[in-house]
Amino acid sequence: MKKIDSTFWNMLWSLTLITAVAGGLLGYTHRLTEEPIARAEKAGREKAIQEVIPEYDNSPIDEQQTYTVRNEYGETTAIVYPAQKEGRLSGAAVECSNNTGYGGEIRIIVGFNADGTIKDYRVLKHEETPGLGAKMGEWFRTPKNDQNILGKSPAKNNLQVKQESGEVDAITAATITSRAFLGAVRTAYKAYAETMKGGKDE
Amino acid sequence: MELTVSPAPHIHGNLTVSQCMYNVIIALLPAFAVSLYFFGIGALIVTLSSILSCVIIEYLIQKYLLKEKPSIGNGSAILTGFLLGLNLPSNLPIWIVIIGAVAAIGITKMAFGGLGNNLFNPALAGRVFLLISFPTYMTQWPVPGASRWSYTDAETGATLLSKLKEEGYQWIDQVDITNLWIGNQGGSLGEVGAIALLLGFAFLLYRRIISWHIPVSIFATVFLFSLALGLGAEGGNLQDAHIWQGAFDFALIQLLSGGLLLGAIYMATDYVTSPMTSKGMVIYGIGIGILTVVIRQWGGYPEGVSFAILIMNAFTPLINNYIKPKRFGRA
Amino acid sequence: MNKTKILLNGLIKENPTFVLLLGMCPTLGTTTSASGGLGMGLSTLFVLICSNVVISMAKNIIPDKVRIPAFIVIIATFVTILQLCMQAYLPDLYDTLGLFIPLIVVNCILLGRAEAFAAKHTPGDSFFDGLGIGLGFTVALTLLGCVRELLGTGHIFGIPVYPEEYGSLIFILAPGAFIALGFLIAIIHAIKTR
Repeated sequence: MKKIDSTFWNMLWSLTLITAVAGGLLGYTHRLTEEPIARAEKAGREKAIQEVIPEYDNSPIDEQQTYTVRNEYGETTAIVYPAQKEGRLSGAAVECSNNTGYGGEIRIIVGFNADGTIKDYRVLKHEETPGLGAKMGEWFRTPKNDQNILGKSPAKNNLQVKQESGEVDAITAATITSRAFLGAVRTAYKAYAETMKGGKDE
Repeated sequence: MELTVSPAPHIHGNLTVSQCMYNVIIALLPAFAVSLYFFGIGALIVTLSSILSCVIIEYLIQKYLLKEKPSIGNGSAILTGFLLGLNLPSNLPIWIVIIGAVAAIGITKMAFGGLGNNLFNPALAGRVFLLISFPTYMTQWPVPGASRWSYTDAETGATLLSKLKEEGYQWIDQVDITNLWIGNQGGSLGEVGAIALLLGFAFLLYRRIISWHIPVSIFATVFLFSLALGLGAEGGNLQDAHIWQGAFDFALIQLLSGGLLLGAIYMATDYVTSPMTSKGMVIYGIGIGILTVVIRQWGGYPEGVSFAILIMNAFTPLINNYIKPKRFGRA
Repeated sequence: MNKTKILLNGLIKENPTFVLLLGMCPTLGTTTSASGGLGMGLSTLFVLICSNVVISMAKNIIPDKVRIPAFIVIIATFVTILQLCMQAYLPDLYDTLGLFIPLIVVNCILLGRAEAFAAKHTPGDSFFDGLGIGLGFTVALTLLGCVRELLGTGHIFGIPVYPEEYGSLIFILAPGAFIALGFLIAIIHAIKTR
């Protein structure tokens, strides 16, 4: 076959054909992958929740509630995933973020026990400096000096860095990150406290 | 290689490269003495290991990689090593000092073709390389005079500038400026003693190793810019003498703390990486001054002198290109 | 044309990263770890082979004046298919590469090969060209990723080689990417000219 000339009609049908085939292919792939993508996303979330609050027999993702928390950082939206065991609230995982990190947004998920103490946490998303601020994923779970925040409750303990007269050791050379991280933890607790209140009213 | 020679008349400098290098080293000795007094054994170990590793690395690269005659005798590797050492905290482990020397000599100097061809100041590039690579080690500063006989386990504290950044402007009331003059402050081991550094500056001017243009324009820019910022922070009522006093203190602290004096006098004036004409030098100095204050005030790091000098190093060819010496005999 | 010659041309003589210096954005952006470099390399390899073959098959029905938009639509289609599949079946890899996958569309290697090779050769030859160039890109990215991960964190493919605290962080940040790439190119050039 000889190469076709660049006449108007040739260009028109050629481009139309190519885009139509491309569109069809993409539509087909989209339909094929739509469900697996949703499943993968849910599985990722579920895994994060499981890691911070191990025991529950409900489906926290389906029962999630969104709260708007107002504090010194302005308004933040927090998602609360309540965990129930035999029909009683056994704690919750709270996903929320703080925009005052060194590289911008820090998104975490914090698991709380029923009494408000921190069970565990995971960092979901961040832009902090590798080797410095990025250490927050481990730093605040390591039982060394006053780094550890697990088992503490934002209601009873002053979860701020020592530079702000709190009781937590900031990550060495990454005070800004530490401050933002602990800010997010306090936001999460506030959202959790709201849920607890809501639970009693019912 | 194409050699461009500017039209006559040529002035023949009496100085050789090595004389020049050794004069700068002599000028740094008072500051080094101050660091020995305040930081003790750590200052000695860091400086010596830095000089030694720079010299050895340059020798190895010249002998085995470039296969040319080693030119260690001209003192430029010794000076780079000395300056790099003075730019580091005195509790830095030796293996990090050696990596810094590799970055300074190997990456910044020899990879660009050796002395005279490097775009950036080797000692400063080495310091910044380490600052980005090992931020935890590079931001722990020994407390002056606290533990003279301990090296890596010395008691550490924050520098004045990082305190200022964390605690805010009001904190300057607690600063004793006398300590800044004599060197009783946390920081890189060679940057602390203002009087000693200025003594070296006077010596370099007297021996005509450097001209006043670069350092003085940096000092003036940093001082005036900080003064303006200080006046703004105090509320801006210019009638009140007390406000002027506070802003003046703030500007003086900006001038005497951190690496400003060390950087402006000894590293911004590096022949290879700074502009050639006096007008170019002033522009270069003002650029460094503005960048330094901007980084200190609004940047992520508490100190910005080294970044400012490296950025302006990159502008040096451009400045040289636009600001050319006047032709002889014409208006 | 000799298939082995086409393959080796892409892998060594016209290696897109070390010789042609094409596609620098993903090269510097995704090589913070060896696995990131490998993942990006293989993704590009897949898209490159598909787009090369399809473009060389369709070259006669694409008029010259509209060839660039036609090529870009074909490349973008394969990139989007790759992105959707990766999101569905390899979510972990997608999390690390995420931002850089759509950018494959504007990677100049793909358009470059479409213009310079696929539009002039048979589908079979184009397949081997895509394979060679793609493998060259994959090898280069993996090598750069290994060097940066080793110097930066003391790991290779996540396997510890020396304690992490001795790693120079600069190598997993942007400036280290440039330094490592520069030295790799210099070393490879030195080996080739010897």
